[in-house]
Amino acid sequence: MDNPSQHAASMIDPTLLARVVKGDQQAFSQLYDHSSTLLFTLAVRILGNHEEAAELLQDVYLEVWRKVSRYDVGRGTPVAWLVTLTKSRAIDRLRARASRGYRGTNSLEAGTAVQVADPGPSPFEMQADQELRIAVGAAVAGLPQAQQQAIELAYYEGLSHAEIAERLNQPLGTVKTRIKLGMSKLRDGLQQWWNHGELQ
Amino acid sequence: MTHDELEESVPLYAAGALDRIERQALEAHLLSGCASCHNALKDYQSVAALLPLSLSPTKPPRSLKATIMAGRNPAPIPAEAVPNEPARPSLEPGEWMNHLFPPVAPARSLSLPWALGLATLLIVSLGVYFAWNVSTQRSIDTSNIKQLEASLQEKSAKLADVRREVGDQAKALAELRNEIQQRTKEAAEAKEQLAQREAELEETRVQLIEAELEETRVRLSQRGSARTVGTPQDELATLLRIPNVKAVSLAGSDMAKRAAGFLLYDSRTQNVWLYSLNLPESPAGTTYQLWAIHDKPMSIGTFQMDTGETAHLLVKKVPSFTKAKTFAVSLEPSGGRPQPTGPMYLLSRS
Repeated sequence: MDNPSQHAASMIDPTLLARVVKGDQQAFSQLYDHSSTLLFTLAVRILGNHEEAAELLQDVYLEVWRKVSRYDVGRGTPVAWLVTLTKSRAIDRLRARASRGYRGTNSLEAGTAVQVADPGPSPFEMQADQELRIAVGAAVAGLPQAQQQAIELAYYEGLSHAEIAERLNQPLGTVKTRIKLGMSKLRDGLQQWWNHGELQ
Repeated sequence: MTHDELEESVPLYAAGALDRIERQALEAHLLSGCASCHNALKDYQSVAALLPLSLSPTKPPRSLKATIMAGRNPAPIPAEAVPNEPARPSLEPGEWMNHLFPPVAPARSLSLPWALGLATLLIVSLGVYFAWNVSTQRSIDTSNIKQLEASLQEKSAKLADVRREVGDQAKALAELRNEIQQRTKEAAEAKEQLAQREAELEETRVQLIEAELEETRVRLSQRGSARTVGTPQDELATLLRIPNVKAVSLAGSDMAKRAAGFLLYDSRTQNVWLYSLNLPESPAGTTYQLWAIHDKPMSIGTFQMDTGETAHLLVKKVPSFTKAKTFAVSLEPSGGRPQPTGPMYLLSRS
């Protein structure tokens, strides 16, 4: 643990995942340490409760370990792959829950509550993550409220633009435009991070 | 759908806002090899993957890691050994991703025989790899189990030692407790004996004093009825050594300011001793009378004060007067009276 960025989620080395694929237990343990806080945060935001988020993380990591889902360098950074995988599984759960007629505590309020209950920097949140976190936070906060809301409804609640339009009682075109503009602003605001090779 | 429309849907795709049909349309377009859409998607997907970083981090429960680490068994199964995953979840990046970035998945462009041959080779090599992997894993597991067993045995032995030690200590403690009880009992007995001895001693002392008193009395009677100051002093000195003697002092009244006295009552012998000093001579036809007053006066006895006499000792047996709190001496006609009639000469100090 001599390298301060070893636990940074944003700095997960693709070779670590390669070792996990080979069944390296230590690499798997490291992968967990690097990424679990970020993935758990995401799962809690989507599912709205800690128990289900923990269950989901268990599924995701075991899926990685058992190579049901495999990382491919071509698909982007390891963390992007893990985030996509977690988000996708969480949204699946959310939809399964909705089809069972259960409406859990998941809502923007739940997300807000998570944001308010700031546990402070975790030991796994190293400087590289902190800087990126600040940059992403600033980029998201810099969006107009309507754009931010539309993106969050799609991203964290898995709603399609048509569903968002219905939820917000806005014309479909307006919602699409908000998402496009918002995503475009975020890309412009964060482009420096991958241009600098931080995330490659 | 035009290309512009498709390109416009890329950020929506990355945010997860497309419905299924739109998603499939874009994926088909990407599979066709549109470079500009590829690049746009890559950027937007990078953005999308960063979004969770804007949330305040929530740490997973501590136990989760252990649960996951424990849940990895059975040993890892290579992806290829798993049959095609049924119904891939909708939001999983589509198959098109394999085409996006070389060098992955060239298989689609190959002809079927080639593909079959390659697949067979792949399966065989994977089988070998898998077997090797499993056997390695198994040997690791076996050695792990052995280590665990060894450490378990060690721990059990330690536990047994600790138990034995605890047992010994408990025994020692019980012995100690018994001993303490024994000592406590002995101490209580000794105390009892001591109290008994003290009582005996007290008894002996009283007997001794009584013997002395008796002796004095005998000597007194031998000397006849001559009343001198010297002999009663001996008696008084003896009497004062009896521990439960009640003493009351009396003071002279206005009739005899110089007079004084004190009264002793020995509850064992029921004797009252009045020692009076400087009472005036009792005139002929009169006598001094001692009263014990409780509710009403009770006569204890009478005595004379002859000419030149300054001190007088009166000894009387009185069965029950312990309740009396006040004593008085009055001058009465000869023979005394049932109730005091004359002037008071001595009064106990209250």
